[in-house]
Amino acid sequence: MKLIEAIDVSKTFKDGSREITALNETNFSVEAGEFVAVIGPSGSGKSTLLTILGGLQQPSEGKVLINGNKFSEVSDKDRTQLRFEEIGFILQASNLVPFLTVEDQMRLVNKVKSDAYDEEKANKLFEALNITELRDKYPKDLSGGERQRAAIARALFHDPSVILADEPTASLDTERAVEVVEILARETKDKEKATIMVTHDERLIGYCDKVYYMEDGELRLDEDKSNKEQPDEDELDGTTTE
Amino acid sequence: MFLAWNEIKYSKTRFALIIGVIVLVSYLVYFLTGLAYGLAQDNRTSVDKWEADAIVLTDESNANIGMSMMPLGERDQVDADEVAVLGQAPNVIRREGETSEEAKINVTFFGIDPDEFIMPEVIEGEAFTDNYEVIADISLQEEEGIELGDKLTLAGSDIEVEVVGFTEDAKFNVAPVLYTTIATYQDVRFEAIDESNEGRISALVLRNDSVSGIDVENDDLVVYTISEYIEELPGYMAQLLTFGLMIGFLIVIAAVVIGIFMYVLTVQKSSMFGVMKAQGISTGYISSSVVMQTFLLSLMGTLTGLALTVLTAYFLPATVPYQSNSYFLIGITVLLILFAVIGAFFSVRTIVKIDPLEAID
Repeated sequence: MKLIEAIDVSKTFKDGSREITALNETNFSVEAGEFVAVIGPSGSGKSTLLTILGGLQQPSEGKVLINGNKFSEVSDKDRTQLRFEEIGFILQASNLVPFLTVEDQMRLVNKVKSDAYDEEKANKLFEALNITELRDKYPKDLSGGERQRAAIARALFHDPSVILADEPTASLDTERAVEVVEILARETKDKEKATIMVTHDERLIGYCDKVYYMEDGELRLDEDKSNKEQPDEDELDGTTTE
Repeated sequence: MFLAWNEIKYSKTRFALIIGVIVLVSYLVYFLTGLAYGLAQDNRTSVDKWEADAIVLTDESNANIGMSMMPLGERDQVDADEVAVLGQAPNVIRREGETSEEAKINVTFFGIDPDEFIMPEVIEGEAFTDNYEVIADISLQEEEGIELGDKLTLAGSDIEVEVVGFTEDAKFNVAPVLYTTIATYQDVRFEAIDESNEGRISALVLRNDSVSGIDVENDDLVVYTISEYIEELPGYMAQLLTFGLMIGFLIVIAAVVIGIFMYVLTVQKSSMFGVMKAQGISTGYISSSVVMQTFLLSLMGTLTGLALTVLTAYFLPATVPYQSNSYFLIGITVLLILFAVIGAFFSVRTIVKIDPLEAID
């Protein structure tokens, strides 16, 4: 099942009288349980794609479907609502609120929805991400890796269908980066999410089911790197189940 | 509420400073209001105490009772439900035997007929029965230590009066009132007693269902309603306007200061708000949390200011004309909070303009 789909999506900007194409016409979709990486040099249009998929900006042409909803054709207010329900963002600088403890980050989600706090769900997530002891800590007291694990918990907590990760390992050393991506891959499979990770870190693409390469606004599937067997697959703790 | 409160708990110092500013401003506002009210009361309590509807003064006096003089006989020319004669004279007294500068006390004599309605209620001692006996405002006891039976000598004359009773809330033009007989008043003012129809008094105080129904035959006399008369009390309106302006400005300044604080904090947090918007948290939720935070801060600030005011008032010496009541305190609290929250709406505009796109870049 396609959880997110971009159909004939393109993005152009006006720069004075010149028209700049940030994203050429793109067709792209991600299935439930699929972990996709988009790599490419900076300025290639990766972020543009991600923000369009996430409904943060509108495509110039084409449409985006999220879990069957026409994301790019609804009002701003409904789009915000859809984003809240269907998308989990994991950002480079972490998507955590600095003045909330790890547990309160989860609680905030329920507060926004005016729901009761689902502590059981939070506990399970904390356990899965191995951050149970960090629940009462503030983001500033966490290490980079811990912060990104908490960010993943936050992104997963409201049970979105799509996870969009923008350079989630940018500030981490290799060991932490691998750990974070492993978790992301595992949660994608376990919870049947469609996960798209934008990165320029090629060390990590081994954990992904498909790898797209973006250059000059042109997105193409990198057949070589996609589905490539990983040498250390056995250590990956169920990362690749297919 | 959730975000607002958690942030306050997290950045204690920062928010304590903001609350501190609100505490100081609200303390000043509460206190100034108390002083303004106290002073206003000191001008008028003795007038309010009459519970009268109107006062008759001479046309020439320009509503200044000190300049008004009419014969006692006018009493019978005025057609009203109740009429009371009043002679008013400012004077300076000293307790008998005292000669020092500091012992001088400004007072106002009210010469009245003890059988008429402006006779004050005695809370200590008894009513005067003879000339040269007075009922004094209780502030003379509280502030000057004058007791029942004390003899008071008048400045510039040999007249001596004896305090036989005390009443409360009797101040005129910020001076305590000494109630006495018309004859004593005449002696104090004119050094001559004349209780015939030709004898002079200052004013007639009236009670009547409708002020317009009061009929005065003499063209030289003017009927003022009590509220008109109070407004005309020398210096009264000027004081009230001055204080009112200061208090109004302070409330606005408090709102602007809090508004600026909240704005700066909002701008500082705009990237975080951008991330939250990207996550699908609505502008409405974020804005209401900022407004709620302002409400919480101003509530905590004003309540602390209020507590300080009440505490200060408790330890304040009786000579400071501070007076307040729960209506003022509640009213100012509501106004301060309301204006602060209005100030926070500057920040809402900023929040609306934050583009979640900036969160990803």
